[in-house]
Amino acid sequence: MGVLKDFFNLVKGMTITGKHLGRHAVTIQYPEQKMEMFERSRGVVVLLSDKETGELNCTMCMLCMRACPTAAIQIDAPRDENKKRVLNSFVIDNTLCCYCGLCEEACNFCAIKMAPLYEFSTWNKDDLVWDVKKLQEMGRDVPYEDTRKKKPAAADKPAAEKKPAAAANPGADAKPAAPEAKPAAPEAKPAAPEAKPAAPTEKPEETKDEAAPSKAEPSDDDKKGDV
Amino acid sequence: MSPLRTEEFTINMGPHHPSTHGVCRLILTMDGEKVLKVEPVIGYLHRSIEKICENRTYVQCVPLFDRFEYVTSMSCNMVFSLAVEKLAQIEVPERAEYLRVIMLELNRIASHLLFYGVTAMDIGALTPFLYGLRERELIVDLFEMTCGQRLTYNYIRPGGVSRDIPPEFIPKCREAVKIITEKMSDYEGLLNENPIWKVRNVGIGYLSAEDAIAWGVSGPVARASGVSYDIRKNDPYSIYDRFDFEIPVHHNGDCYDRYLQRLAEIKQSLRIVTQALDGLPEGEIQPKKKINAITFKPPAGEVYARVENSRGELGTYVVSDGTNKPLRVKMRGGSYNQLQALPIMIKDCLIADLVAIFASLDVIMPEVDR
Repeated sequence: MGVLKDFFNLVKGMTITGKHLGRHAVTIQYPEQKMEMFERSRGVVVLLSDKETGELNCTMCMLCMRACPTAAIQIDAPRDENKKRVLNSFVIDNTLCCYCGLCEEACNFCAIKMAPLYEFSTWNKDDLVWDVKKLQEMGRDVPYEDTRKKKPAAADKPAAEKKPAAAANPGADAKPAAPEAKPAAPEAKPAAPEAKPAAPTEKPEETKDEAAPSKAEPSDDDKKGDV
Repeated sequence: MSPLRTEEFTINMGPHHPSTHGVCRLILTMDGEKVLKVEPVIGYLHRSIEKICENRTYVQCVPLFDRFEYVTSMSCNMVFSLAVEKLAQIEVPERAEYLRVIMLELNRIASHLLFYGVTAMDIGALTPFLYGLRERELIVDLFEMTCGQRLTYNYIRPGGVSRDIPPEFIPKCREAVKIITEKMSDYEGLLNENPIWKVRNVGIGYLSAEDAIAWGVSGPVARASGVSYDIRKNDPYSIYDRFDFEIPVHHNGDCYDRYLQRLAEIKQSLRIVTQALDGLPEGEIQPKKKINAITFKPPAGEVYARVENSRGELGTYVVSDGTNKPLRVKMRGGSYNQLQALPIMIKDCLIADLVAIFASLDVIMPEVDR
């Protein structure tokens, strides 16, 4: 009887093994094969560009900066004499980012998005502070649904007006010089680390203080945002 | 020659001990292998979330609550949202309520599956870990598909939820529920009658119902001691009063019953998810007057909100002074009380049993330390 029982157990075990024989593998060979991320996956923050003109969608309304709970987004865009905002710098510190996605929700112009990209590790911590050029480059191929309210005449006009301002930015020529853009990126980096050492300690309080009084002042942006 | 004598000695378990599920230090007073006294030392994972909340706006607090108890972040989002909604008298749309319940219950299942795997691994069985995490993956994928993250969801917000579910969510969710329902027999078959598992768990770490109440223990640990108390039934929040489910109760109060209790709760959660999927209405997911992340100001006042988490009562006390930032936020996690009750559970236990008891409490340190 014992032999029979052992034999039965053996058959039972082999049946289970047989069931799994034809099953496909669940593991993937990472560097060659890559996992398909969900479209909504919140990876790294990127800046999106217009699909036709290739310019940044950003209108420098600063809503994302104020929505960010960790002050990872720093925008410097003072108004010029025509009360138009001119983008001096748009820096995202990926070491501070907590990937909550509030910036993306605050944006009404499809300008900032948490893209399903996850390969952005570096050897140097300072390389994780990204400027506008790098952010635009990362967002180049990110698909997105353009939900901006198109006001045909009005939308064209500011875009045309913005052109000179945007051209002054490196953003516009980044596209044709795609291979060149890479060497340009490390060039830009030394500038960022210089600003960094002071940043980690001062940033949180600084921006909080800034954000609090400014709450009442740029309410025109808020209204725009609520529409 | 002096006679042989023994003396008590003190050893440290942790803070970096794999079975402490985080960084908890236990100072043990030992008599040989026997544990005489245990003194938990907490604070290694303190991040002062409560204080940070005071200079964030209400919506910005939600990601912080994600980090409060990261295994069931949905509950943490939920408890803060409930508090703010109570404070500002916000009406939550019907669809958002259903989505919340689906997410909360899926998260509870995911948490209990993690418990199933990790506890078994602490005691020395590797296979349950693979089983438990295999099915947890299905749920985590559902979350990622909906809100974009696998752990810190930031999904349930004051007023509703951040995003509607994608169209493929419902079929995938139904499939996941079906798979987990089928696999429940596998889980039970693997451990329930396993002689090693029973020797390690039955009668170990007894906690009486009186002690459980006295120490403020709640959740599955209290219910395994015979305290039939579940906030979903006793003080229903959201729309839990509409669903047909039971509160399982076990009476022995030992490690084995705590394990059985959690498996029984998975089954009830599966029932709730199925009912919520069936009843899911169409509609809005945010109130008509959408809450602005920066300028939202609830009226001055104070409020306590609580939900039933997979680790007991999860509560938050929010004091508002009428500005866009909370004046004070206090968090209450179930793990804290369960950890405090540990010293009374160690009667006559060996050091190996201590690992089993600690695992059966399913304590998670960020919830203790905040």
